[in-house]
Amino acid sequence: MIHEAQFTLNRRQFFGQSGLRMGGIAMPLMLGQSLSGRASAASEVHPALPGLPHAAAKAKAVIYLHMNGGPSQLDTWDYKPGLVEHFNKDLPDEIRKGQRLSTMTSGQKKFPVAPSKFKFTQHGQCGRWVSELLPHTAKIVDDIALIKTVNTNAINHDPACTFVMTGTEIPGRPSLGSWLSYGLGAETSDLPSFVALMPRYPSGSNGQALYSRLWGPGFLPGRHSGVVLRSAGDPVLYIDNPPGVDRDDRRAMLDTLGELNKKSFAAVGDPDIQTRIAQYEMAFRMQGSVPELTDISKETKATLDLYGPEATNSGSFASSALLARRLVERGVRVVQIMHRGWDSHGNLPAELGNQCRDTDQGCAGLIQDLKQRGMLDDTLVIWGGEFGRTVYSQGALSRQKYGRDHHPRNFCMWMAGGGIKGGVVHGETDDFSYSPVENPVNVNDINATILHCLGINHERFSVRHQGLNLRLTGVEDAHPVKQILA
Amino acid sequence: MLSQLDIRISLLLPLLLLALPRTVTAEEKIRFNRDVRPILSENCFACHGQDAKKRKAKLRLDKSEAAIAERDDIRAIAPGNLEKSEAWLRIISEDKDEVMPPEDSHKELSGAQKDVLRQWILQGAQYEDHWAFIAPVAKALPDAGRGIDHFIDAKLKELGLTSTAEASHNALIRRVAYAVTGLPPTPEELAQFLADQKPGAYERMVDRYLASRHYGEEMARHWLDVARYADTHGMHLDNERQMFAYRDWVVDAFNRNLPFDQFTIEQIAGDLIPDASVDQLVATGFNRCNITTGEGGTIAAEFIFRYAVERASTTAQTWLGLTAGCAVCHDHKFDPIPTKDFYSFYAFFHSNADPALDGNKLLTAPVVKVTPSDDDAKTVEFNKRAAELDVQIAGIEKRIAAAASRIKYVDPAALTPPPEPEVKEVIWFEDGFPKGTIEVTGPPLKLVTREEGPVFRGKLAIRRTAKNAIGQDVYSQGKFTVPRDGTFFAHCYLDPKDPPEAIMLQFFVGGWNHRVVWGAHEKIGWGKVNTHQRVDMGSLPEKGKWVRLEFAADKVGLKPGTTVTGYALTQFSGTMGWDHFGISSTTDPAKDPAYSWQAWKAQPEATRNQDLSPDLQKRFKGKAPDKWNTKEETELRNQWLGRVCLGARKELEPLTSEKAGIGTQRAALAQERAAYESSMHSTFIWRDLQKPRDSFVMLRGAYNKPGEKVEPDTPAVLPPLEKANPDGRATRLDLAKWMVSRENPLTARVAVNRFWQQLFGVGLVKTGHDFGTQGDLPTHPKLLDWLAVRFQDESWDMKKLMRLMLVSDAFRRTSSGSADLWQADAENRYLARGPRIRLDAEQLRDAALLAGGLLVKKMGGKGVRTYQPPNIWEPVGFRGSNTAKYKRDNGDALYRRSIYTFLKRTAPAPFMANFDAPNREASCYRRDRSNTPLQALQLLNDVQFFEAARGLATRMMVTSKDPAGRVNYAYQVVLSRAAAADELELIGDYYQKQVAKYKAAPAEAAKAITFGDSKPPDGVDAPELAAWTLVANLILNLDENIIRN
Repeated sequence: MIHEAQFTLNRRQFFGQSGLRMGGIAMPLMLGQSLSGRASAASEVHPALPGLPHAAAKAKAVIYLHMNGGPSQLDTWDYKPGLVEHFNKDLPDEIRKGQRLSTMTSGQKKFPVAPSKFKFTQHGQCGRWVSELLPHTAKIVDDIALIKTVNTNAINHDPACTFVMTGTEIPGRPSLGSWLSYGLGAETSDLPSFVALMPRYPSGSNGQALYSRLWGPGFLPGRHSGVVLRSAGDPVLYIDNPPGVDRDDRRAMLDTLGELNKKSFAAVGDPDIQTRIAQYEMAFRMQGSVPELTDISKETKATLDLYGPEATNSGSFASSALLARRLVERGVRVVQIMHRGWDSHGNLPAELGNQCRDTDQGCAGLIQDLKQRGMLDDTLVIWGGEFGRTVYSQGALSRQKYGRDHHPRNFCMWMAGGGIKGGVVHGETDDFSYSPVENPVNVNDINATILHCLGINHERFSVRHQGLNLRLTGVEDAHPVKQILA
Repeated sequence: MLSQLDIRISLLLPLLLLALPRTVTAEEKIRFNRDVRPILSENCFACHGQDAKKRKAKLRLDKSEAAIAERDDIRAIAPGNLEKSEAWLRIISEDKDEVMPPEDSHKELSGAQKDVLRQWILQGAQYEDHWAFIAPVAKALPDAGRGIDHFIDAKLKELGLTSTAEASHNALIRRVAYAVTGLPPTPEELAQFLADQKPGAYERMVDRYLASRHYGEEMARHWLDVARYADTHGMHLDNERQMFAYRDWVVDAFNRNLPFDQFTIEQIAGDLIPDASVDQLVATGFNRCNITTGEGGTIAAEFIFRYAVERASTTAQTWLGLTAGCAVCHDHKFDPIPTKDFYSFYAFFHSNADPALDGNKLLTAPVVKVTPSDDDAKTVEFNKRAAELDVQIAGIEKRIAAAASRIKYVDPAALTPPPEPEVKEVIWFEDGFPKGTIEVTGPPLKLVTREEGPVFRGKLAIRRTAKNAIGQDVYSQGKFTVPRDGTFFAHCYLDPKDPPEAIMLQFFVGGWNHRVVWGAHEKIGWGKVNTHQRVDMGSLPEKGKWVRLEFAADKVGLKPGTTVTGYALTQFSGTMGWDHFGISSTTDPAKDPAYSWQAWKAQPEATRNQDLSPDLQKRFKGKAPDKWNTKEETELRNQWLGRVCLGARKELEPLTSEKAGIGTQRAALAQERAAYESSMHSTFIWRDLQKPRDSFVMLRGAYNKPGEKVEPDTPAVLPPLEKANPDGRATRLDLAKWMVSRENPLTARVAVNRFWQQLFGVGLVKTGHDFGTQGDLPTHPKLLDWLAVRFQDESWDMKKLMRLMLVSDAFRRTSSGSADLWQADAENRYLARGPRIRLDAEQLRDAALLAGGLLVKKMGGKGVRTYQPPNIWEPVGFRGSNTAKYKRDNGDALYRRSIYTFLKRTAPAPFMANFDAPNREASCYRRDRSNTPLQALQLLNDVQFFEAARGLATRMMVTSKDPAGRVNYAYQVVLSRAAAADELELIGDYYQKQVAKYKAAPAEAAKAITFGDSKPPDGVDAPELAAWTLVANLILNLDENIIRN
């Protein structure tokens, strides 16, 4: 438990010193400066909370590949060969057990089973069954841990996404990235500690809405908000100087501004003034570092090839995956890629095919790239949506065409990298991929696992708010999934 | 009392000392609420508190009787005896299985905390009720005039802190202006204050700002955070919703200084106030501001439940400072609010008539149309034009009366034999519609011949079939005049095998407001029953034959002379024919008051009088014709000739035509006004369902697991609710009145604390939303109580309360202080120095616009879409959402005050979010005040701030020719003070550098002065303006400008 007061004390004390350390120092431009490896601790802007991490952290950074809309587990990872026999037959009652359905299909008279039309084959040393839709991810199965029994409490997009990203269905809580930024602090003073990316998605797909709360700080201080790195317009809001104002103008102006603010500090004594001086300097450095960050001209062809032909196409998923690596490399704590379009109620085979083509190589390339650079050891990568999809078809069913409704009871996620054992699978579902039959894993358990990999005991990481000690993982019991930990 | 040593520690470790339990000495009296409860609450109550389900060893430590009770020879707490106190022995136990709190709780008592408990037990282990649940009492002050400062100074003395001197007048006016209006003072306001040398100048300045209309805007801004007001629904599509009338109500309520009790009652239960005004209904928008969903697939029961929980929790938090949220799932571990009490409170909010799914609509019922106020510009204009036309009509009437007096009139009643009556029939439908537009509901218009189906007269008749739905033929673009004594007739044929369930005739006069209906009228619906909008003519006519339907035009409210422009022949279900439809009238001049003076005179007075001008009506009220003298009779007859007599029409031409012409204009104006008023916006309000929902304790907070049934009631730990109807169900109005009743210990304290927070930066209770046992204790409990009592004594007068705080010494101190002072009380809870807090997002932008001469001070109305970087809405928007694409407004809308900025919850304007403005998804009682590089980037580079800088630069150049004069002017505008010599020098150097660059690169200068929609002045020296723009940009980025000093 962290008291608000302690936290404030810490922040005040820190700024009291760091401001003095940084105030007035015109930091050298980051342009041209070596950026390999993580930024040094000397330039930290805000440190970890006292006592954090609770244990040695396996991972220092997180890249969360959020597949928004609910990817079909049945057509990607949860191989159910027996379903072919049940084509167009009603889902047996003993499987459905009268569980609630979304009202989009609760009115259906029949629940005809729709087997996946896609071919599955075994891959890697672990022999993982993977759908033909994911030929590139199939190559990295020995690096990832697959969880087949993730379940959520929500059945609609808005509450389900809010749950996955903030640990509760009701808006108002901090997002995962904000919790991590708050608890573990930043490792760079040139970039925000938490960055969100929103790549394009295939045009025919059913894209759901996103909400700023999915990367928002909730009740935590605003500086822990995810900063959206944009693929169109300024990459970081307001990063560009106004027209007719160049970097030298800014430097000259900031020098004068710093002088005047220092005079204020001398007269008033408010340590926040020193913090402000430092933040203006950091803003200036960001103006230098962000263009460098998004300039991928120095990436080798071999690296670009890992991510595929879309890697150089700004705003694509592949380029976002590459950018995620570059961000983590520069000391960013959490990168969240929000890829939309996975909500296939009608023509699932076509839409899902497009979705997988859009992301498959980017995901695989990211893991390979991190691995080659030795970064996978301390970077945790998570892939998954907010729920899965039903085994029965929503709307018309044929062998080639079917739709699937939301399915909260079990869906697939995978994790790789820092703290995770590769090549394992956890949990099993029934023959219809309708319910877990062993090792169910709640979304809260997933979040507990993520925190665990970062050295945080999720039960001891709470913030007092509105009279409650609130945790990312909620009030119910939650447990890290030990079986997938390295 | 603190010892010397303690004070030294307080300087070194300020927060530890001020916020955590203090070290204690043996002599010191331990106070349960202040010293003990926080320790027990944090470490023990989770298992030994209120929540029976989580209680371990059946022991509770939150109640004295239970804690000291002897069970099996053991007492948890034995007052005065440590060795006999099992709880104490467990606390100091070294046995891992015995020690309390247990290891797996991850809680541990510090040495100091143990000391407190030890002392407390030794001193007799006395319990106290929780302070906030005991109604505040205020003792008379020895130095009554000092008010607030009496308490503040006493505490400072106790802590050994020395307060700073009063701030300069320049600093004071800027502080007050921002705090009260959200804007800095103008140079004129500054000059006025500085020139006022008489005593009371400060108070007069405060009063000027309290009287400003911007006061309401600034106060509302804070309240709207609490009320979670926004312009979209918030979930899924996040479509636009329309309830800005609520926002404007809040601004107005502060400006007219609505007392806080009334402010409370109207927002919680305005709809239940007898004869509630539209305004009071608008106020109930408070609890319609919550986020809602329209997502397909949503389970309705789940969201009805969630909305009620959200509304109950927000209400409890806003007025009572209670965080009831955890009682949703289980008994509140720390506060004495059991789950049952929460759901009883929730029951007040469980029966709103709004649906679970908002339908993604602009207006999700229940809503109310907001009528324009009397000073609405358009309404003023309507009134003016109407008055002008009335004057013209009066003028013509005079001339008509004069002309009438010259007419030689012969009464047809006096003729022998009297003239023959004349019957006139006008056909509106026969063999087809007249020329114009025909629209249908259902299959296309079908006219049948006698061979094809029943025809009453002529060659063709209408035949229409509707399948369990409304079917109709609608004719428009006609021009029929309703005659005197007109009677409509129409012929219908109902198919005996498939008769309709209802048939209807409708008439269009500026709107569809005249209908007659036979049969099951509710099937068609439309119009208010038993008015002209829906006249029920009884059962359906006979089937299988042509039946003539007849009704007087008067019966549907169609007055003679009315122009009908359309009609509709409507049915519900079945098959039928329509034919030969029209209106007939009979004229008998000898008996018709429109032809015969005698006949007119013979009418009852009330009928007669309707035809007269208002002044004659008054004069002849109660005066029978036999009492009229000749002069009077002539006067009346002349008016009758001019106004009523159809026989005289010809002779009074063209005057009557002229009058009719103006009459038409007058009618058109009335219609235009009606259309305007009906186009006025609507707003979400609260209305209960006719029959309230049953409410239950929901087990573990699950929407589908109802437990025990509950009735609406207030928490048992607080004073009982008084019901208007003691035998009936408690109402929200009862609840609202209970909130502001004298017995309620919380409402006034919570409100006062919120205003305090607004002015001083932090509340007296820091956790302003949590006055429960888990919340912080007040720094100045007696001051809080004194203010709360005074607030109630002074009729909940909010402006008075604000003034009281604003004129205190505590508010007037300089915010500069020694490093020691900053260290000793970093958060300035004890107010040895004046408040110094970062401005809020809205204040920063509004002040920049004001400095740039761009601010548009128009108040109220639809949310405006100001400058926003591209791609804020688009990357997150749902394809089908009407807020997926941002379309910026132009002109004045770009420069309105920020409170009027359109707020999309899932993608709020970055200039707001960047400075910690909440997205209004949930109630926000206090904003963070972060200090980030992204804020620096915004203030430096955002077009809104850069354009404002250019505006300021332009004003600087206009005001003075001299560079120092220009900088000084900017300092006055922005910082309300003159620049010091060293500041002038530094800025002067920077200007020289910048102007040299722009003189060398005029193209760059041209770019710099054209950023934004406003235009630089013609013929301006571009390099100079560009350089001054950067100087202004610099001044607007000074720390001193970003804070309220």
